[in-house]
Amino acid sequence: MLQCIFLLSDSGEVILEKQLTGHRVDRSICTWFWEQSISQPDSNFKVLPVIASPTHYLFQIVREGITFLACTQVEMPPLLGIEFLGRVADVLSDYLGGLNEDVIKDNFVIVYELLDEMIDNGFPLTTEPNILRDMIAPPNIVSKMLSVVTGNTSNVSETLPGATSSCVPWRTTQLKHTNNDVYVNLVEEMDTIINSDGALVKCEIFGVVEVNSHLSGIPDLTLSFANPSILNDVQFHPCVRFRPWESEQSLSFVPPDGLFKLMSYRVKKLRNYPIYVKPQMSSESGTCRLSVMVGIRNDPGKQVDSIVVQFRLPHCVSSANLTANHGTVNILADKTCSWSIGRIPKDKAPQMSGTLVLEEGVEQLHVKPTFQVGFKIMGVALSGLKINKLDLKNLPTPAHKGFRAQTEAGQYEVRS
Amino acid sequence: MFSQVNLSKASTLVLRMGTDAHLYDDPDDVNISPLLDSKFDSEKCEALKRLLALIAQGLDVSNYFPQVVKNVASQSLEVKKLVYLYVLHYAERRPNEALLSINIFQRDLGDQNPLVRAWALRTMAGIRLHVISPLVLVAVRKCARDPSVYVRKCAANALPKVNDLRLEENASSIIEIIGILLNDNSPVVGAAAAAFASICPNNLPLIGRNYKRLCEILPDVEEWGQIILIGILLRYVIARHGLAKESIMASLLPNIFSNEKTGSESDTDYLDIKKKYEIGIEETELAGMVSRSYLAGQDKYLSVLDNNSDVMPSEHVSSLFTSSKNDESVKILLHCMSPLLWSRNSAVVLAAAGVHWIMAPMEEISKIVKPLLFLLRSSDASKYVVLCNIQVFAKVMPSLFAPNIEDFFINSSDAYEVKSLKLEILSTVATDASISVIFQEFQDYVRDPDRRFAADTVAAIGLCAKRNPQVAKTCVEGLLALISPKSNTCGFADDEGVVLIQAITSIKDIIKQDPASHENAIIFLIRNLDTIKVPVARAMIVWIAGEYNSIGNIIPKMVPVILRFLARSFPSEPIETKYQILNAAAKVLLNSKGEDFDTAKKILSYVLELAKFDLNYDVRDRARVLRKLLSCYFTSSEIEEKEKADNNEIEIPVLLAKHVFGENVKPSIETVNNRFYLPGSLSHIVFHAAPGYEPLPEPCSLTESDMVKGLEGPGQTEVNDSDVDSGSLNEEGSYYSEDSVTASTRTDDESATSETGNNNNTTDSLISFADVGKPQQESNDVSELMSKGDLESWLGDNNGQGQSQSHSVDERIPSARISIGDISARIKPNIYTLLDPTYGNGLKVEYKYSLEASTISPSLVSVDTFFQNCSSEPMSKLILTDEDSESVDQGSSESQKDEPVFVPMEEITTLEPGQSIKRVIHVHFHHHLLPLKLTLWCNDQKHPVKLRPDIGYFIKPLIMNLDAFSQKEAQLPGMFEYTRRCSFTDHLAEVASDDKDGDMSSTKDSFLIICQSLASKMLSNANLHLVSVSMPVDAHLNDTSGLCLRFSGEILSNSIPCLISVMIHGNCFEPLNASVKINCEETVFGLNLLNRIVNFLAEPRLTS
Repeated sequence: MLQCIFLLSDSGEVILEKQLTGHRVDRSICTWFWEQSISQPDSNFKVLPVIASPTHYLFQIVREGITFLACTQVEMPPLLGIEFLGRVADVLSDYLGGLNEDVIKDNFVIVYELLDEMIDNGFPLTTEPNILRDMIAPPNIVSKMLSVVTGNTSNVSETLPGATSSCVPWRTTQLKHTNNDVYVNLVEEMDTIINSDGALVKCEIFGVVEVNSHLSGIPDLTLSFANPSILNDVQFHPCVRFRPWESEQSLSFVPPDGLFKLMSYRVKKLRNYPIYVKPQMSSESGTCRLSVMVGIRNDPGKQVDSIVVQFRLPHCVSSANLTANHGTVNILADKTCSWSIGRIPKDKAPQMSGTLVLEEGVEQLHVKPTFQVGFKIMGVALSGLKINKLDLKNLPTPAHKGFRAQTEAGQYEVRS
Repeated sequence: MFSQVNLSKASTLVLRMGTDAHLYDDPDDVNISPLLDSKFDSEKCEALKRLLALIAQGLDVSNYFPQVVKNVASQSLEVKKLVYLYVLHYAERRPNEALLSINIFQRDLGDQNPLVRAWALRTMAGIRLHVISPLVLVAVRKCARDPSVYVRKCAANALPKVNDLRLEENASSIIEIIGILLNDNSPVVGAAAAAFASICPNNLPLIGRNYKRLCEILPDVEEWGQIILIGILLRYVIARHGLAKESIMASLLPNIFSNEKTGSESDTDYLDIKKKYEIGIEETELAGMVSRSYLAGQDKYLSVLDNNSDVMPSEHVSSLFTSSKNDESVKILLHCMSPLLWSRNSAVVLAAAGVHWIMAPMEEISKIVKPLLFLLRSSDASKYVVLCNIQVFAKVMPSLFAPNIEDFFINSSDAYEVKSLKLEILSTVATDASISVIFQEFQDYVRDPDRRFAADTVAAIGLCAKRNPQVAKTCVEGLLALISPKSNTCGFADDEGVVLIQAITSIKDIIKQDPASHENAIIFLIRNLDTIKVPVARAMIVWIAGEYNSIGNIIPKMVPVILRFLARSFPSEPIETKYQILNAAAKVLLNSKGEDFDTAKKILSYVLELAKFDLNYDVRDRARVLRKLLSCYFTSSEIEEKEKADNNEIEIPVLLAKHVFGENVKPSIETVNNRFYLPGSLSHIVFHAAPGYEPLPEPCSLTESDMVKGLEGPGQTEVNDSDVDSGSLNEEGSYYSEDSVTASTRTDDESATSETGNNNNTTDSLISFADVGKPQQESNDVSELMSKGDLESWLGDNNGQGQSQSHSVDERIPSARISIGDISARIKPNIYTLLDPTYGNGLKVEYKYSLEASTISPSLVSVDTFFQNCSSEPMSKLILTDEDSESVDQGSSESQKDEPVFVPMEEITTLEPGQSIKRVIHVHFHHHLLPLKLTLWCNDQKHPVKLRPDIGYFIKPLIMNLDAFSQKEAQLPGMFEYTRRCSFTDHLAEVASDDKDGDMSSTKDSFLIICQSLASKMLSNANLHLVSVSMPVDAHLNDTSGLCLRFSGEILSNSIPCLISVMIHGNCFEPLNASVKINCEETVFGLNLLNRIVNFLAEPRLTS
């Protein structure tokens, strides 16, 4: 099992260490790790989640510049380590409102207390955010003020949260809300690959059913879809009961309080995609003319917002001069070119054009960048998934129900 | 400007107000001690937070331990929590102070608040003290029946902590508690399963009792417990019921398949299924390998491969199998496992997929495809690990993933490792139907800005063409387009070369399959030779031209022309191309007839002449060999050659030449990485067996009687179990433990082998100084080796193992093994003073580590102790005892088995003035490196003394020859290998004096002197066996680089071998750089030993 967890800043400094078992791990392992990752910048050492160091096996994930490093010396499922680190990162960023070096240092006591509750002897103990919140109070403005005024307040709960012993550990017991309401939100991401011939290679939706519930007592909810057959595959929050899904494809669950991901799903083999990007490149004698056209292909029925087209200039491009008839073009230091379009105007088709100057000795551009597209459409789920109804049982008072949907671009790529 | 700085400071201040930021920034700006002693909780809290901040920053604040530990009694939970965090961090270093807290924990365990009870238990077990382990066990037992689920869960987590102390008397109670907790309800079972997996993974009868219930509650267990429990249940089912015969595992064991056909008629439907899916499973050889390596250990599997012919008796085979359709246990397992494929935790999904892969009937395996592919999208961090597993699944059963190729299409945001894994999977699962789509994709990838990835794509195209010969033509066309000049106008930058080389390599591999059909491709390549400037690519084209010079009609005409052109530019070609030009010219000559023959001969002789004067010696050598080989073509004219065609003298070189150049060399057998590990395991990702990795148990190894035994007395069986199974971890071996019987026999064996084998260790070390080297063997070796005319002057052989030595000469390693004579005389173990006469009233006690194995138990270290009376009075009742033997009561001292144990020595009744007596004392250090405090009694007076352990003597020589050494070394790579460097100066004095004599042979001698001084230093400081001394054959004067000494030993306590190689670099007359490499499974021990070796090597020699 895991022996030690380190949190590293983006400069390789150890922010804190938490030893988990009797076999201590020296922090020199972090030095080794950092030197390795610096000495091999191109080999993507930093993104390899499992690394065999001379003395330990390391698992790592990187979140917002913070590297979470866990060490072990014995066989264990690597995904257990990786998933756990991911859960730690989720909980910390939830508690601290984002992750960065300063915020971790400022709240290091809370981080220690959380880690101590989350893992015991190298095996995960309590990872359920609801229970953790009851055990260790998140820092908030009131507690901060109190600590300034009175000197010190405890954020450690005096009693054991009831949920630890219930059969629905994700739900805090004895919840009371004055306004009972529950919102269901379909958040979809569209993954598309359009190849260099302009043909659609792959178009699918990765979606999440987000539920924000503020309900009293122990409510029992049933959510059913009008067209569950289009779902290619699903993953559930632990609160979802398997049997009703197996028999009639409906989601029956006792929800945790607050916002959570009830289910994620995938819908494959879609035909319609909302936005087209048409890049054209022609190069001769050291320069390359580039023009990119963007427009609506299949109208989703709602406004397409915050359209961005991004691509990486190839290495052999020394400078670029690109302008657009709509929106702004930015070229960043790492040779990423970003064209923010926003909404597509009614009167003209947005176009970006200009020249790329190639490095000396390079006559023609033989590599082709891939264009990544970003957009957001509110009020529509492009997969076509429709919620049939949401039944609430076991509620003292009737509750307000709300439904929403939105689609964003996921890995939406156009090859040139 | 100034105000701006202030403003930004102020804004951050506001943000950080109320947090603990100031504590992290300046943790030690106030005096912490008084705060800890304060009576206000808030001040205590602040002090503890400051300490925590210091810990976080990597500073050692263990000196506050006594003050901190007393605050454990605080009523404030926050103080308690912080104290616990601190105590757990340092308890192991400050065991005595940690004991102070035990009473408080005991009190807290009876607290009303379950949270307090749980924390107390966690901390108490976490401090890991042997003394209190009985108390902890009682506490765990109590908490295992606690009304609070949370406390019970913590009790399950505490069990591995208690087990870490490895106390045998606890083992049975630990197992019993695991049994209780496995019977608990779902939240506890997960933790109990984790405890089971880490404590007694092979005590499967314990699972058998609860098997059905465990399966049923599996979906309700928390996700982390599920991961572990899935693995345990799978092991149980295989051990109890065997493999499912409908599963892919069974179908992949070819022996069994053949038997099944003849054996059982009843399973006709099963055979049908098999036929149906057989098409889906490719490369049965590889696949069979996979399934076998899952099952039995590596060794066993290899032995199966060796005697492939002997087929297992069929009745035995069929008994290994069960049916996943009829067997209730397997059915329920699969049924309860399938909802887990929908888990949001990728580790759970992968574990459940692994069970399906191994146990599910073949038609149901496809269930795992969608969940696995979904993981690729839903969790970014686990993508790489999941792909590694899919890769193996796809290799064994390409049809599984063939319909889902678009999931493996590459996104530009993927990491390089992910991209190359996807490429490999794509080329594996490509079918006739999908190949065109995949090629379309590949065409895009080839133009990717990441050229390394583009080159990989080109390689994948080659692979696809090999697997699907019908698309080879298309592939070659596509690849040729890459090579053609118009696509490469950017002038072959470095990264572009990679793609080009890979493209030509792929083409070469495709052509090899069926040269005749790719005539046009060859012509195209030859035509483009002019434009291709990358040396490796050029060389490959020349090779292709030479190899296929007789194919079709056009090529035979082209090749001589191109050769002539190449011959002219020969001097300016890069070396790789020069080699291939020589080869191609020779091949053309061998294939040509008539007029062409003359031209070919001219070209070849021209090229050979040019090569004769080449700057590169290898080119010159090759030319010389070719000239000799083809001399018949040059010396005699064509006609003569034909006349003498029957003559044998000419025939042989011609045949040889034809064989070397003419025959198509058979492609070397593809080396398949034949190590496969269970899906979802860490070993699978790192490609070696991680410590603690175990393949699946042998099918049906768990019998009914085992189950009954397990039910009757789980405790008893488990003691055996843990002894047998935790092999590498079982370091106990103390002399009063159960295995003393085996221990003593082992000692006998060892003394026997050491008598025959190594004369350094035969007898008492004192005498062994005299008993060195066997002169007659020495002379034998000299004559034997001299007659071989070897490069070095050979001296006597230390080991008298002439056979192994001559064997090593045969090896291809370009180094010679030298023998360094009898260095035994130079081995002088260090003598340490235990008691100085000035402090001991004239009693002088010295000790040295004996090379001899202890007579009591092999895990004991024996120490020769010399008592000398330097006073004028006789002394009486001399005895050495353990310091603690009185202070601590008997019970607890016995429980501290990891502490060094000292075997009481025989008392010396009287010691006359001037007399000196030797006693051998035996100590079990348990690898502790701190001095052992002993008490020396003399005339009823007490003298505290310290015995310093020397890790160099925690091992004993392991006799092995060089082959065995290198074999063993190869088995211990990566994690088990450590290297450190140091300087070595011992030889300097001797070499310098030698040099003054002005001897001509001083270079040889200085090598010898270095080896001798190094070996004697090693052997004087550690109990090792000198395996070999080798030096480079082409050694330069005074340059010792490449000199290598190898030593072997095995750890006393657990007989794990420990291999040490010392490589020397540098000039003889200067301090040398020694790099010491150690290969040892026991990594911690290996590192400690390495440090010790480096320390003593670097230490200058005392003038003797």
